[in-house]
Amino acid sequence: MKELINKLSKDFNITDAVYQRPSLTFVTVPKGVAISLVTDLRDYEGYSHFVMMSCVDWIEEGKFQLLYLLHNPETKTDIGVKTFIDRENAEMASAHHLWKQVWTYQRELKEAFGIDFPGSPRVDEDFVVEGWVEMPHMRRDFDTKEYSENTYFPRPGRETNDPATYMRKKLYPNEPITAKKQDNDK
Amino acid sequence: MPFTAWSKVVKEPVTIKDPLNREAAPRYRGFHDNDVDECIGCGTCEAICENEAIDLVPVDGIETKDGDSGLRPKIDYGRCCWCALCVDICTTNSLRLTNEYKWIDTDPDNFRFVPGVDKKDWYDKKDGWRKPEPNYEFYGLKRVEMGELHPEERDDSFIEMIQGYSKEQAEAEADRCVECGICTATCPAHMGIPEYIKAIRNDDLEEGLRILYDTNPLPEICGRICTHKCETVCTMGHKGDPISIRWLKRYIADQNPSEKYKKILETDKLTKNGKKVAIIGSGPAGLSAAYYLSLLGYDIEIFEKLAEAGGMMRFGIPEYRLPYDQIDKDVNYILSLGVKIHYNTTIGKDITLEKLNEDFDAVFAGTGLHLGRSTRIEGTEHKHVYQSIELLRKITEGEEIHVPEKIVVIGGGNVAMDITRSLARLQKIKYGKVQVTATSLETEEKMPADREEVVEAREEGCVVNPGWSPQRIEIVDGKIKGLHVVQCLSLFDETGNFNPQCNMKNENFFEADMVVESIGQGMDLSYISEPTKEHLEMGPRGRIKVNDYFQTSVGWLFMGGDTIQGPDVIHGIANGHKAAVGIDNFLTKK
Repeated sequence: MKELINKLSKDFNITDAVYQRPSLTFVTVPKGVAISLVTDLRDYEGYSHFVMMSCVDWIEEGKFQLLYLLHNPETKTDIGVKTFIDRENAEMASAHHLWKQVWTYQRELKEAFGIDFPGSPRVDEDFVVEGWVEMPHMRRDFDTKEYSENTYFPRPGRETNDPATYMRKKLYPNEPITAKKQDNDK
Repeated sequence: MPFTAWSKVVKEPVTIKDPLNREAAPRYRGFHDNDVDECIGCGTCEAICENEAIDLVPVDGIETKDGDSGLRPKIDYGRCCWCALCVDICTTNSLRLTNEYKWIDTDPDNFRFVPGVDKKDWYDKKDGWRKPEPNYEFYGLKRVEMGELHPEERDDSFIEMIQGYSKEQAEAEADRCVECGICTATCPAHMGIPEYIKAIRNDDLEEGLRILYDTNPLPEICGRICTHKCETVCTMGHKGDPISIRWLKRYIADQNPSEKYKKILETDKLTKNGKKVAIIGSGPAGLSAAYYLSLLGYDIEIFEKLAEAGGMMRFGIPEYRLPYDQIDKDVNYILSLGVKIHYNTTIGKDITLEKLNEDFDAVFAGTGLHLGRSTRIEGTEHKHVYQSIELLRKITEGEEIHVPEKIVVIGGGNVAMDITRSLARLQKIKYGKVQVTATSLETEEKMPADREEVVEAREEGCVVNPGWSPQRIEIVDGKIKGLHVVQCLSLFDETGNFNPQCNMKNENFFEADMVVESIGQGMDLSYISEPTKEHLEMGPRGRIKVNDYFQTSVGWLFMGGDTIQGPDVIHGIANGHKAAVGIDNFLTKK
């Protein structure tokens, strides 16, 4: 794999390479190079099988990290092409023309992270969560707990206990306590 | 339903029972299991659950006690999404997901159960999702290290050895706290520990100070020398280091300047209620009672036998552990609320207890344990056999004490370590070398002293040689030659009574020119004269009987601190606080 990466480095600006195991390597390239590299790998290096595409929210850096995972059926090796795109107005060149199934992955990423892939067929259609109007639900700033609280009702009969308050009631009910703890009991 | 769907009505169902009963993958996330003996009911699983699928509920047969809330998680599978965050955050690693994923039941309520308690078929399955170990933690397992002076920097002076946390260090340490609050029950003062740690995280140290003073008016002191029992039950201590609760408390107190205390704590103007309370002793119990009674509007006068306030905190604890200016900071704030203090005033000598009863509405006595106990072995009558408590007081008072080249200290508690290390410093200053040996009945593992005290004493050149029973002090030509000891095999008999058993054939001898006894302290209640004494009910082990609010059978006399509970500073503080509530109840219902 190292030979291949060295060779690719001459034509593509590979900023990072991780040799995960003999059959799996990850490379990171700038956004503008990613689709060209994926195309090159498909057309000239035997990585003809598109395995999947995914995304990681690097919220602290203001970036999304996209991953294109490709498989070479002859060498039985995988290569993952990673690239970072801005989180704000997230947009990436579409790869739908390379494999038809990329359509579906890009549609999923549009729904889950809000990343646009202009020109990708049916990219704006609902994927899993029909009629979703909230922030894309896989973004890390989507508050799933708040959404649960607002959307679902608690099952009747449920009750819980705060450990510190419960221990006070059980172990030292008559001790002087702080105003704060009294508030919690209300 | 679309019309085309009707064509499927007569077809065989697509969903069939799994004919092979296939096992899920080894790390599949299925139904929960909980090792309820390991679980302490800290509720961290409930707090992290994004779907509010977890409740903490009492469980039959599991007792609420120090370090265990007695509660256990109950899962609502109508909400659980099997994300396993509850497993990944679990502080005791008791919770796991088995790889069982198939379960059919017609009653939806059955899908709420307490894993590990309610019987289920999958508990014997070993596969499923567990928190991978090591290096898979949502929080740091190691505490932020506290800076301290190296032994060579500290062994010839009494300067403070613990340096305190910086802002970054304190916030990083505070960030490890999961806010379960298990520690609060164990703290004798029941301090709002998770709340003040949260204030550090939020960098709101004024709020932190307010929380400290809710239950503890001596935070600079406790932030340095508290016995920190809270840390022994810290949930983080199950798989890593407990949170440095004591040092975080100190950080809040250190960062708030004393001139801002009144504003922060809103004590600029206290409304007086016209009643007066006398307090005997300015140790932790007396100061705590004075503080909380002042807040309630009482006029307080403290009667202190010595020339400065603080009791054992000043005269028993060495300055390298608790600098005097830090005691002053806490004491001066309490005095600034209008508390009067009469120094060098001994009750029973300068003024009688009965006179206090006449002049005041109630009296609180926190007189502590100031009498040293002797082993009474042969030779203890020699003039160079001392009581640790007496020497520590003299060191604080700046009095010159006898410091020969070789010293033996008898005792294995914190006071023994205090005098050992203080004498080592004085030897280092005087001779440039240390020759102090501390010995105790207890073996190394059972020594009552804090582990760090023993370690630090050794770092400073002291010899700690535990597990020996003192037999006699050898005196030749009027001079002490050393201490004869024999091996101590056990301290208590089968009934739990103190009854040391020794191997008389295994003898040892510690050379010494001076012997210090530090085997515990007793109380001096001689200030309680006959008219009051007659009505004073005594409790077990020669202690005075008090009710839940530290009120004695005499009514107007309340007692707390080391004479009643402890001995330690934080019990004294808690006693003083509760006695203040008791005195207020007593006087308002009078």
